[in-house]
Amino acid sequence: MYIKAISAISPQLTYGDEYVQGDFQIHTKGIINAIEPNYLAIIPASLLRRMGKAVRMGIGAGLPLIKNYPAIDGVIIGTANGGLEDCIRFLNQIVDYEEGVLTPTNFVNSTPNAVAGQLALMGEKMGYNSTHTNGSLAFDNALLDAKLVLESSDKPMELLVGAVEEISDYNYNIDTLNKHYKTESISNEDLISSTTDGSLCGEGATMFVVSNEKEGAIAEVVDQFQICFPENDEIAPLIVDFLSKNKLTPQAIDLLLFGNAGDGRTDFWYNNLQKEVFPNLAIHTFKQFCGDYRTASAFACYQAIQLMQKHSIHGFEGQQPTTILVYNQFSGERHGFILLRKLPLAMKMEH
Amino acid sequence: MDISRDDLKIEFKQHLITYLNLLDVKVDDIKDDESLFGGDLGLDSIDSVEMIVLLDREYGIKIKNPTEGRQVLVDVNTIVDYIIANRTK
Amino acid sequence: MRKVFITGMGSISSLGLTVEEQLKKLRSGQSGIGKVNHFQSVYSESLPFAEINASDEELKAITGFAEKGITRTTLIAIKAFQEAIADSRLTPAQISHTRTAFISSSTVGGMCYTDALYTDANNKGEISEFYSSYEGSNHTLQIVKQFKLKGYTDTINTACSSSANAILLGARLIQSGRADRAIVGGADCLAKFTVNGFNSLRILNEQPCKPFDEHREGLTLGEGAAYLVLEAENVIENKPLYAEVKGFGNANDAFHPSATSDDARGPLKAMRDALSTAGLQPSAIDYINAHGTGTVNNDETESFAFMELFGTAIPAFSSTKGYTGHTLAAAGALEAIISVLSIQNNEIYPNLNFSTPIAGRGLIPVTNLKQGVEIKNVLSNSFGFGGNGTSLIISKVD
Repeated sequence: MYIKAISAISPQLTYGDEYVQGDFQIHTKGIINAIEPNYLAIIPASLLRRMGKAVRMGIGAGLPLIKNYPAIDGVIIGTANGGLEDCIRFLNQIVDYEEGVLTPTNFVNSTPNAVAGQLALMGEKMGYNSTHTNGSLAFDNALLDAKLVLESSDKPMELLVGAVEEISDYNYNIDTLNKHYKTESISNEDLISSTTDGSLCGEGATMFVVSNEKEGAIAEVVDQFQICFPENDEIAPLIVDFLSKNKLTPQAIDLLLFGNAGDGRTDFWYNNLQKEVFPNLAIHTFKQFCGDYRTASAFACYQAIQLMQKHSIHGFEGQQPTTILVYNQFSGERHGFILLRKLPLAMKMEH
Repeated sequence: MDISRDDLKIEFKQHLITYLNLLDVKVDDIKDDESLFGGDLGLDSIDSVEMIVLLDREYGIKIKNPTEGRQVLVDVNTIVDYIIANRTK
Repeated sequence: MRKVFITGMGSISSLGLTVEEQLKKLRSGQSGIGKVNHFQSVYSESLPFAEINASDEELKAITGFAEKGITRTTLIAIKAFQEAIADSRLTPAQISHTRTAFISSSTVGGMCYTDALYTDANNKGEISEFYSSYEGSNHTLQIVKQFKLKGYTDTINTACSSSANAILLGARLIQSGRADRAIVGGADCLAKFTVNGFNSLRILNEQPCKPFDEHREGLTLGEGAAYLVLEAENVIENKPLYAEVKGFGNANDAFHPSATSDDARGPLKAMRDALSTAGLQPSAIDYINAHGTGTVNNDETESFAFMELFGTAIPAFSSTKGYTGHTLAAAGALEAIISVLSIQNNEIYPNLNFSTPIAGRGLIPVTNLKQGVEIKNVLSNSFGFGGNGTSLIISKVD
């Protein structure tokens, strides 16, 4: 499966050129919010008024790609939680108004498939449409689903694949109960080197145009792998095996883009894998840019492709990788690996 | 409840903008006799349910029957008349 | 491409705790819709529901899983999962094999206890035991953990077509050679969240739903879980093949967030794609298990789609939601199992509560149990919010 174009709304200035020119946005408030564009330039006011944050970020990142790639047939989204803000707003209505007369908009927005549904609606895409909600593997699942759809087509085909996650006060509260976030004040700049418990909450929408056609593509999704609840020593041999299935040795990987989150409890997963399988490679990280959220591996893929394009990403000066391994996990439960390879074509900027 | 019909219209339009989250729409943009559905505001069936919620929460009016809803939710004039006649708060 | 066979089934719904119990009710025409005993809501008295006849505590006893924080969604999912793997006689080694995939689905997921979530999300009061169970995929994670699954796992939420898409994806994984075996399905339990959601859209019927009837006034919510074991033809050793997953189509209506188009373009595309992947003509379909929710919009559109696709030769069809209510994410898998039962037993289970055909459509579903009819190919439809629609073709094994 090949990637033809990418787009992101994230806590960095990814909607313009700043991010690929080395800009780094510092967030000090504990929650790393996405920097959202002026949606009225993309989304009619009559539709925007009904959209929660997850939906509007998804449309904001995805619709320009749909417009630029009219051959896109269908839409596949990964989101662990979808429009949680609307979800809990609706839930609060249920309790506060004792199941009385309630407004439906929050309910309609709260369903995780609202993003893929709205993209299909606004982009008039009647082809394959699905939404994966499998926690920190949801984006990985969306990618594999896309691959299966593309393989089943004997004609050239394009799909929009992506991930969306939003922060709301509510999931922040729930994740805080689950001790996912740091209690001390820390900037995203210092996140990765932290060793205390928890991380910083992030959010964003990341979209990809994928195709079964190599022509016009900038990168290839070579393969992917997942495992749940692994034993500590289980991952290293599985990754060696995974690489060899793709006719690669660990030495063939030239950049590791790992989901280290500055979480003293779970970063060992990344560090152990590096030590055991890639002793000659340093770990590079992406969560200082986007924060920690379940589908952050989509942002990692976005960043990996920008690096392949030799863009000057902050802290990655001089790197020109061609084969990148993305690894992300959440709470040590679900672990996902995505192997990406550069293709010779240079990317057009999509905005 | 001592509010003039004109003030009630303004109040209702403000509620309408809030409840329906009408971006870029101001009170003066909504004409009293302009059809709310199928007109410039671009409202649809979900908005009609949102308006029923508005009438319930702001004016204590319960509309159960969708047919009754369609007769009332025509334009600002018809709704305001209905509020004056039926409000319980 | 490798053929994909169904070798095991497990389900739980208002009709019963096992496939066998449910089959008895399907035959005797007894609906699972009625007054609730367990679900607590303002609407418990005033609206009919299709509730599973077991409390959370009873489900914990039946399944043997009583961990703190376990939700009703997870409990019913485990119950159906246990039945499916036992029915297919899968060994622990096969269940934990890296080439065994598990694809589940849910819409309400772990949010089934609205009041606990309210407290935890708003930081109001004591932390509930469910604080780490709210994710839509929590039931999947629990099953993966408890049954030591090591293969590909996924959770889908495409609203009311969710578990139909789980079946589709499982079939594709097997066809592509990425898995040899896939346990696929979904689970959703009654929750204030969905009851009030559908109620706010004014599509809940105050009477048991009447699919395809002129005087239908909306759907009846139900709860259920259903899983099927799919296996590649070359890994099956001496076990009965229930049916084959022969075709599937997934299309988006791209019309409205919560309604289907008048010209049924999405549903039609899904059905046509299903026929074409199965390599079948419309005339090869012997029975349609319709989506048939009983809402004004769905049944009108679906009827139109049948007329467009089949012309005057519309196959026997029924919606079984008059039995089970609408079980949301579980519906696609639950109805796929009902489709398999039709194929195995040469019978069609009726569309309950029907009396008058829809004006201008005139379509009459099967209203009495039909026996002794050979069913070779079943078309099973699932359509949902977000324009999502999936059609499956389940066929008798040649």
